[in-house]
Amino acid sequence: MNEFLTSLQSSALGMAIRGETGWDYLFPNLETLHVLSLTVVFGSILMVDLRLLGLAERSRTVTKLAAEVLPYTWIAFACAAATGSLMFISKPSTYIHNLDFQLKFLCMLLAGINMFVFHFGAYRRVQDWDAQLPTPAAAKLSGAISLLLWTGVIFFGRWIGFTT
Amino acid sequence: MTANAHQWALWISHTPLSVWLQHKVWVVPTSQSIHIVSVSVVFASALLISLRILGLRVSGRTVGQLVQQLSPWMYAALAVLLATGALQTLIEPRRQFGARVFWIKMALIVIVVLLTTFFVRAVTRDAHRWDSRAESPPMAKLFAVVSLALWVGIIYCGRFIGYTGT
Repeated sequence: MNEFLTSLQSSALGMAIRGETGWDYLFPNLETLHVLSLTVVFGSILMVDLRLLGLAERSRTVTKLAAEVLPYTWIAFACAAATGSLMFISKPSTYIHNLDFQLKFLCMLLAGINMFVFHFGAYRRVQDWDAQLPTPAAAKLSGAISLLLWTGVIFFGRWIGFTT
Repeated sequence: MTANAHQWALWISHTPLSVWLQHKVWVVPTSQSIHIVSVSVVFASALLISLRILGLRVSGRTVGQLVQQLSPWMYAALAVLLATGALQTLIEPRRQFGARVFWIKMALIVIVVLLTTFFVRAVTRDAHRWDSRAESPPMAKLFAVVSLALWVGIIYCGRFIGYTGT
């Protein structure tokens, strides 16, 4: 794997992003686009999680809210992943061995698992509790875990900048 | 930075509170993370409202409903942004005051908050008419585009405050 990472790092793309080909602003621009994307990811997930917790958007059904908001989550996530991957290529070994980077991805993995469990668990019977409050305990738990993990993603993500 | 700003930055960085906080290295990154979370609330809300004004069917809700539901969250998040921003500036005043983009960012924030407040007031006062409209008036569409551009500009400025070219 080290060879693969080294080859990424020394690739033309990696060099360009690191600023070694004269375009100093490529990395900070990627970073800003990354931040813009993540605000949409987090903001949209926040809306759904707060609804599951019964703390916001209480007049809307869960299914309607999710249907409206989730397309934005996915598009923004794709943009965040794309910009993140490009930044990663500039210093792959540094990032892979960075603890905050690892913790960030662990949080995302756990958030994905939580989403999966929710989708095939409480959400399967959503018609039963779509419009009512409070939501079932399992839904509340998923919402709370999701919020915690995605906040973790942001926190660890910010710390990467301080530790690399 | 100007001599004045420099003096203020020095004075702030020497206050006992600032010195005490400077020694706790986890405060700035933690504050910045809360700052980013709050940016998410503001930007995602502004995006939803603006896209709805521009006619995209982003939700089954009307502009009036979106404004009514999201604006309290936006204002709360703006308060958190001000608090965390102030904290960060208290700890690293030279970093902020010495960056031209910081001052640009502050100016843009004043402008967008004023515009947003005018818009929210207009919609709330006239909620009935807003909800029965099929299409938003041209001024609203202008607001939608301008405010989004301002928010994006603010986020760009924010990122470049700490940028020293390294």
